[in-house]
Amino acid sequence: MAVEKDLKAILGKLKYSDDAKVAQQITEQMRQVQARMAGIKHKLVVMSGKGGVGKSMTTVNLALAFARQGAKVGLLDVDLNGPCVPRMLGMHGQSLTMSPEGAIPPVGPLGVKVASMDFFLKDASPVRWKGPMDVSPAWLGLMEMNVIREFLADVVWGELDYLLVDLPPGAAADKPPVIAGFIPDLAGAIVVTTPSEVASDVVQKSVTYARDIGIKVMGMVENMSEYRCPSCGEVNELFEGNTEAMCEMLDLPLLGRIPFDRTLARTFDKGQPLLDDTYPTIQRYQDIAGRIKTLLDYKKVLAEQL
Amino acid sequence: MKFVCLNCETYMNFEKVEKPGEDTLGVFFGCPSCNAKFSMVTNPGETQMVSSLGVKLGGRTVEAEPFEMTRGTLKDEATAATSQMAAQLNEKIQGGQPAVAAATAATAAKPGEKSGGGCPFSAMVADMGLTSGGKPGDAGATTTEFAWSADAKEKLDRLPSFVKPMVQSSVEAFARKQGYKTITLQVMDDSKSESSNGMAWTPEAEQRLENIPDFIRPMARKEVERVAKERGMASITAQVMDEAKDKFMKFM
Repeated sequence: MAVEKDLKAILGKLKYSDDAKVAQQITEQMRQVQARMAGIKHKLVVMSGKGGVGKSMTTVNLALAFARQGAKVGLLDVDLNGPCVPRMLGMHGQSLTMSPEGAIPPVGPLGVKVASMDFFLKDASPVRWKGPMDVSPAWLGLMEMNVIREFLADVVWGELDYLLVDLPPGAAADKPPVIAGFIPDLAGAIVVTTPSEVASDVVQKSVTYARDIGIKVMGMVENMSEYRCPSCGEVNELFEGNTEAMCEMLDLPLLGRIPFDRTLARTFDKGQPLLDDTYPTIQRYQDIAGRIKTLLDYKKVLAEQL
Repeated sequence: MKFVCLNCETYMNFEKVEKPGEDTLGVFFGCPSCNAKFSMVTNPGETQMVSSLGVKLGGRTVEAEPFEMTRGTLKDEATAATSQMAAQLNEKIQGGQPAVAAATAATAAKPGEKSGGGCPFSAMVADMGLTSGGKPGDAGATTTEFAWSADAKEKLDRLPSFVKPMVQSSVEAFARKQGYKTITLQVMDDSKSESSNGMAWTPEAEQRLENIPDFIRPMARKEVERVAKERGMASITAQVMDEAKDKFMKFM
């Protein structure tokens, strides 16, 4: 009969080494993310706890606003399951160009470089991963995080003034704040909400969670503030809420308010975005971009104006 | 993951990985002492877990290609059918109207003109009674030892229900500290400008803070108070403002 061995005693005598080199490779992956993003001056994420508040519309328009100011801009759409940035910018059907140096992003309106899961998908096809779907809860989250890590590590952005990252919806112990935590030297997060109390309630949770994990929340954009009827011209509020009070409570600046604008929305839906900088709603995005720029340079502003 | 040869009391060495079938990996180990070999075989779930890490067991022999894992794990399915469906749906929903034409038509619509289709939200807006800014409600109200003036109460009632108790408690804490019995609009405003650090600001310092754009003023206030705290000062004076300005000059 075999002698019973004391595993604890055996392990106490042995020196562990990672033969499979998993830890080493994960460290290398993170190093590659840092190296790849080194040429980007300001990295910003656009997030919201709530879905359907217009995160992508805000991200895309802020990217275009920065580009109009002469900045070099990249836009990373990491909403893997609902990527819509390429379609909004009329870039659906384009793809990343694979090269030995990495994946080269296509260039959209006003010179904005774009990377998105949409570039890997065909038309209306949803994201489907290989693997046993019956046990997907065990691996799907890990898989998606690593796909996002590849987006951060493998896209050749080159020198950029701003990289805007459109995060998927989610509030607390969920992906968005964790994704933001992946990004080295993140300048901060822009939070999008609607004046609806339901949205505000969820959004404030995402702000709290983001702060808990050390993400600087720069300010809030109120989307769908009001609706101007294209038929009668009457302006009405769409929701009953008070984003200003929420910002005050969370000690956050309200960066601006964007009306629900059917004209503008339709051009993005069709992939032929309205780019006219004299258009009133676009001017509001320009103002918000200006405020973000001031926030990024706030120490300079204090030195000059205090 | 490591394996121990219990006979030799040593770790076994990782040797190689093979793929004996779909959704399974065979990971081979050998004992450096007795040369015993064995292979661990993973089930589909375990295989996918390892693949999801985006690493190669045993280390990389060649550089990773861009989007290696994403491209390697996306299902490659024919999507012609879904493509056609999308086009049909798009045609039905958008009526095949070119975006530019639609945009132009919508832009051209002036107040009072009918451009067809009408206002998609008018019914909803009417249902909600939202022709002016928000209606007062009692949701979220809590009992109070203070008398609230009518206009202050109205301002409080306009806040979202989840914010109201917090604002009320903050204003009342300020009123309690100041010895007020009645909360007016002025008390509400004063409670907002009270520093959370309990620092007093001289009028001159407050005036200089007004030079900062309003949306970064709260941030500036905190930064100045931090400078004062670092220097052991209990109030914000023009001198503290100068020192803060000097500090920020270094970032120019």
